[in-house]
Amino acid sequence: MIGVPGFRPVLLISTLVVVAAAAAAIWQYELRPTTTQQAVAATPQRAEPRALSPEEESYAAALWEIQRQVTVSAVAMSYAGIAYEIDNHDVHVLEQKIEPVAKFFVEAEPRVRSLTVPPSLSKVHDEYLEAVVLYRKASDEMLAFTKDGERQHLVDAQGMGVAASEDLLRAGEVLWPGQYKPH
Amino acid sequence: MRLGMKVRLFASVVAASAAISVMSGTAAMAQNCSVWLVESSRFMKVPFGAFMPDRAFVPGSTNPNNNIPTVDLPANYGVIKCGTDVILYDTGWKQQDYLKMTGSDHWASGPDQLKVLGFSPGDVTKIVIGHGHWDHAGQIMDYPNAVLYVQKQELAAIEWALSYPEKHIRAINSDPGGCNRTPACGYMPLTMQEIYGKVLNGKAVVVDGKMEIAPGVIIHPAFRAHTAGSQLLEVPTSVGKLMFGSDAYSSYEGIRDWMVANIQQTDSVQQFLAYEQCYKVTGGYENCVSAHEPLAYTDKYPLTKNSWVALNGGRMAEIALAPGEKSRKP
Repeated sequence: MIGVPGFRPVLLISTLVVVAAAAAAIWQYELRPTTTQQAVAATPQRAEPRALSPEEESYAAALWEIQRQVTVSAVAMSYAGIAYEIDNHDVHVLEQKIEPVAKFFVEAEPRVRSLTVPPSLSKVHDEYLEAVVLYRKASDEMLAFTKDGERQHLVDAQGMGVAASEDLLRAGEVLWPGQYKPH
Repeated sequence: MRLGMKVRLFASVVAASAAISVMSGTAAMAQNCSVWLVESSRFMKVPFGAFMPDRAFVPGSTNPNNNIPTVDLPANYGVIKCGTDVILYDTGWKQQDYLKMTGSDHWASGPDQLKVLGFSPGDVTKIVIGHGHWDHAGQIMDYPNAVLYVQKQELAAIEWALSYPEKHIRAINSDPGGCNRTPACGYMPLTMQEIYGKVLNGKAVVVDGKMEIAPGVIIHPAFRAHTAGSQLLEVPTSVGKLMFGSDAYSSYEGIRDWMVANIQQTDSVQQFLAYEQCYKVTGGYENCVSAHEPLAYTDKYPLTKNSWVALNGGRMAEIALAPGEKSRKP
């Protein structure tokens, strides 16, 4: 005959079930995804751009004439590298594409240096100049690859290109905030 | 046993084997994926008419299509888990000290958002970019193991624009302070360097048209539906097939009501053909996954209503779970 369990065993089992359920709930709580409140503290605050003074505006306008060519040349350099990898690995084609880009960056550097820089934008100017120098070095590295075939040149060039592109955006955030619209 | 009977028995065995084979094959093809939609950031107070010309605000209008002045546009990307594959459809963009995108809000980093969903950046195996614009193809370098899938046509069109003699078409930024709708406008140098990095490291697949990248997970070309090399992604799930569209599907309401949205390098006929592709593959408009739908994460866009607020006020939605997959919704 199957007996009916006594009161104590039932109480013991019930207690164990309750404790286990509580432990599971605490475990679930601890493993829950990060809450919004916690995350907000870790997110950088958004700053509004400041208006440029007339002197700064004139610097930004002069630099823009160089910037519009810098961005095109920078993208052209990346694309030349992409095309080399995905098309036919023809170093002569790569060389043909990089040579005018390298020439442009060689010429752009003194153009940037020759601008009259408001003291308030000296840091921005230095960053921009650094970007142009890095792009020039990157294009030199890519040309070096076309001579000796050493892929490390391409790796180095890509790293420089990333750093230069970040510098470009850093300067642009001050001089031309919102230059890139939602797309 | 008579010969005829033997033949019938053999035929039955062959048929049964074929049926089992087909069924198992179908099972592999129909492997359901888990899917989440994640808001990279939100572009605030965008004039509705700039996003959808047919929804332009008309002061005093009582027409529901023309009585909303501005909308907040999420920039969404998809997180898709199919078996051991973790696939991103688009990657959002990366806010930095050098790229704040004034006018946007609720940005959070992709890797941090993935952690909320229980993934690490190293878990991501594939990235399919719907197109190469900066706000959809950013942060690529933050996923070191992921293989990038980009359409050949997308890359070729950038080169075409770069070498075109008319400067307003060739230019990336044609006017001070503004990136207009020139063909190369949305491809900032950093985005292109990130794509090049993937290609250079042998972590990119340049797709030429349609391609199945995992069982039942299929890239469909949608050329000129937003950019020259736009691509859609079909994903099998427990709620039916989904079709991700990036900016070819900028607006869910646009797909539903057959209105164009987010015209950039877009042929409106091609955008409608991309809409039609969703109707054909998924059986309607409800499972078309939109990149910038203002109604996303609400009941008015039912696919995305199972949502919550996560990092920095950005939203996430759990769209579908594969069998055995646990919910990530808090």
